[in-house]
Amino acid sequence: MTTTTYNEAVACVPRAGTLYDVLELILDRGMVIDIFVRVSLVGIEIIKIDARIVIASVDTYLRFAEICNRLDLNQDQSSRTVPDLFAGLPSSVAAGGAKKAARSVGGKVKDAIGMGDDEEDDDEDEREDEREDEREQAEEPRRRRTSATSASGARSGSRTRARRTREA
Amino acid sequence: MSTSRLYVYGIVHADRVLPPGTSGVGRPAALARLLPVGELAAVVSDVPEGLRARRRDLMAHQALLTEVGAEAPVLPMRFGMVAQRASVVEDAVGSAATAHLAALDRLDGRTEMNLKAMTAQSHVEALVRDDADVRRLMATARRQPSYEGNVRLGQAVAEALDRRASESVDEVLPELRALAEGFVRGPDVPGCVLNVSFLVPKAGVGRFRAAVEHLADAYSERLELRLAGPLPCYSFVPQEGTGSGPAGRPVGGRTAEHAPAGS
Repeated sequence: MTTTTYNEAVACVPRAGTLYDVLELILDRGMVIDIFVRVSLVGIEIIKIDARIVIASVDTYLRFAEICNRLDLNQDQSSRTVPDLFAGLPSSVAAGGAKKAARSVGGKVKDAIGMGDDEEDDDEDEREDEREDEREQAEEPRRRRTSATSASGARSGSRTRARRTREA
Repeated sequence: MSTSRLYVYGIVHADRVLPPGTSGVGRPAALARLLPVGELAAVVSDVPEGLRARRRDLMAHQALLTEVGAEAPVLPMRFGMVAQRASVVEDAVGSAATAHLAALDRLDGRTEMNLKAMTAQSHVEALVRDDADVRRLMATARRQPSYEGNVRLGQAVAEALDRRASESVDEVLPELRALAEGFVRGPDVPGCVLNVSFLVPKAGVGRFRAAVEHLADAYSERLELRLAGPLPCYSFVPQEGTGSGPAGRPVGGRTAEHAPAGS
């Protein structure tokens, strides 16, 4: 039910879909009857902020700059500085070239605003109610497996891998 | 006292039957049932102890409305609506029955498709080719590599990407609006340059999705499109104001953000 497939161009979210794609509709649209009361939305603000925080940070700027600088080198094959600069980069990036690196940035952004924050939300619940969390894990193993790269990556292997690559 | 409170999911025609075991919010999930009010019925459940807006409860609300709306129209409530007791639901739904019936009529056979557009971040190369400003900053950053120069360069890239994305949105919208019967701008979502919902005939969902995919291809260098749906028609039910009774409100009346379908 929560499977979301991304391709290069369009992401189609089937049925109930990923929560963040429709969160503001469930919370801010739909019928309201004045005389009804509303359950507490405490915690929702945190979820909302987590969801889109990736855009426009200095971190993003620096990644763009990195891409640009590599693009420049790629176009100017004769530059004598190429070997020097590539020597300092992770081998996978150097091999893949700028285009691949650019795509991977897009991928990271998607992870962070989609799958990644799903997991963040789970973390919220875990902190509050560990007992229920066990059942939740048992129920939703697929989502957990697919969200390997997350903002809170400590649980997955991605951070460890990244460190190793940098050292290499 | 607290046991008589009701969580209200939506409003349907009185002749509807919920599939047995239809579950709602809470853990263990509360069983949903119908509360008949004249020609209408409210889809309700008990209010679980300590209910708040958890992921699974939001999903349960959404899933129930999706299921109920699959065969016949439903007026979805906003998440988290709780009535103190059954008589409050009966009064509220009954007093606006005419408007609700008309709204159900209008949504019959239709569904909501939500489209969000974000700035494409993966085609920096094309931007660098086109944007002299970025090329200039790039040359500077290369001549004199510095943290500040890199931040400036990256910021220029991000801003240029956003600008191009916003321009593309204006070109994307008319084609999709032509395929829809209704069109409402959604709440602003940080990181999105566009958030709109379309009211689409259920039979036209495939065509609509194909159109979005086509546009996503055509604009892939500038926009990342995300389509969600079919969804309960959250954006196409009467949006009640505060204070005034729902009965006095025209059925088609929506917020100022509403714009008529078509171009």
